[in-house]
Amino acid sequence: MAFNTFSYLLFLPVIFLLFLICTDRLRWLLLLVTSFIFYAFLLKPLLLFVLLAVIVISFFFGMHIEKAITSAERKKFLWFGISGNLFLLVLMKYLPFTSSRIIAIGVSFYVFQAISYLADIYLNMAKAETHFGYFALYLSFFPKLLQGPIERAGNLLPQLKAKYAFDYANFRFGLLLFAWGLFKKVVIADRLGVYVDIVYNNVHAFTGLPLLLSTWAYAFQMYMDFSGYTDMALGSARLFNINLTQNFNNPYMATSVADFWRRWHISLSRWIFDYVFEPLQMTFRSYGKWGTTCSLLATFLVCGIWHGASWCFVFWGLIYGIYLSCSVFYRPFQKKLYAALGIEKARFLKYWRIFVTFNLISFAFVFFRSNTLGDAFYLITHMFTGKKNLQPAFAFSQGKYELGFLFMAALIYVCICVLRKNYDFLSFLKLSPFKKCLAVYSFMTIILILGKFHHTNFMYFKF
Amino acid sequence: MTHDEIKNKVTKIFRDILDDETIVLHDNTTANDIEGWDSLSHISILYAIEKDFNIKFILIEVKQLKKAGDLFDLIKSKTP
Repeated sequence: MAFNTFSYLLFLPVIFLLFLICTDRLRWLLLLVTSFIFYAFLLKPLLLFVLLAVIVISFFFGMHIEKAITSAERKKFLWFGISGNLFLLVLMKYLPFTSSRIIAIGVSFYVFQAISYLADIYLNMAKAETHFGYFALYLSFFPKLLQGPIERAGNLLPQLKAKYAFDYANFRFGLLLFAWGLFKKVVIADRLGVYVDIVYNNVHAFTGLPLLLSTWAYAFQMYMDFSGYTDMALGSARLFNINLTQNFNNPYMATSVADFWRRWHISLSRWIFDYVFEPLQMTFRSYGKWGTTCSLLATFLVCGIWHGASWCFVFWGLIYGIYLSCSVFYRPFQKKLYAALGIEKARFLKYWRIFVTFNLISFAFVFFRSNTLGDAFYLITHMFTGKKNLQPAFAFSQGKYELGFLFMAALIYVCICVLRKNYDFLSFLKLSPFKKCLAVYSFMTIILILGKFHHTNFMYFKF
Repeated sequence: MTHDEIKNKVTKIFRDILDDETIVLHDNTTANDIEGWDSLSHISILYAIEKDFNIKFILIEVKQLKKAGDLFDLIKSKTP
């Protein structure tokens, strides 16, 4: 079930109450059963078998990698384990027979997590888990099951095994973070989606400014949707004293594309870097910058294909590969140029770089969002041609209040960001109890009034 | 080679690769402390160290490196 549904809003407190009254020795079992029930709500039994298969394969080969005596044996079990997991991923996502019949929600995420587990054992960065139940829970823990974060064994397993004691600070923070994520998803992301869909589902009806504005809108829709999900996942987990990995760090404040990938979908970019890019770069290191370039192109090709078996995603990945490859060559000259002009510490330079980086990211998003490659090429070739005014249909086809709702949502978002410090709601917590209650009730009312509750899935469900 | 000799040599390599004569390395220095020392330049730096010290790193060793001191210790373990 999705986090932005009323059934989840009933599910979570029920599970939490059961968790509180359950004996500590069996809490892992309660969470494991709950996670499988959570996954079963998708009404796709095949996915449950896939999850179980990934758990069994990874547990089995993880133990064998650790017990293997020779390096060759360790490598053999590693590749068997990776192959088994990738086979399931390819079967569910990329083969026409299965991928056209079932949306493999969650598979990409927990398969990658399983591969990271096996690789970490091989690289002596983690120990194989000997308790099957805890391992199963590590892969299936419901807050992160459908869209990540992709958790490392070293972070999540110890937390799942720790003795639980109710922590009011965690409980409060978890609920606040969950509400914040819900606001981002149903109030901002889904409303932005209205405009994005009008243009991107019928691109040939538009030229000029609507194409540009809807692309920028999509960049924010994607961020609000995915980071909103992440906040709800992290908030849900925090109720159980589990700290999942933060997936976003103000990505649109990045001053370069490389910086962007240190701030966007951090668990995936770390995975891609640790298990694809770095090994490739080590292999090709004697080829200098060209070796790095090849590694980057291959890495982002994998990143693109992970999102889906479509040329649009391949192009999207290759664009980032090209961006970063170019930066390998021009970065030294760029540094010298800034130094020669005496602007390397200038404030305007930072904002200029943020602006340029955001537009590079938005350009790539054209391919990510477009329904076909043809649509993507039409968009980029007609973005600065044709009529420059906003088409009336683009702005008002959903009713004259839609734009107003969106404006209010954006204003509230900006205000809360300005008032909130350190991302952990500390400034909120300093308010008096009356003001805190007032703020919370006002916030929930805003979500109910401005939110779009016509059920829309999280965007990363389809990856 | 002594620890300090290794540190001085590695510092010179960092300065050459990252084109920054002001770089100073300590045992606790991490990538967060050095501008330009990131995932794109990291392996280039390691390759330059391999050539200069006539040693070879393997991926498992590289993955264990958390700070400059770990790198100095690794180099020392591979040099006479």
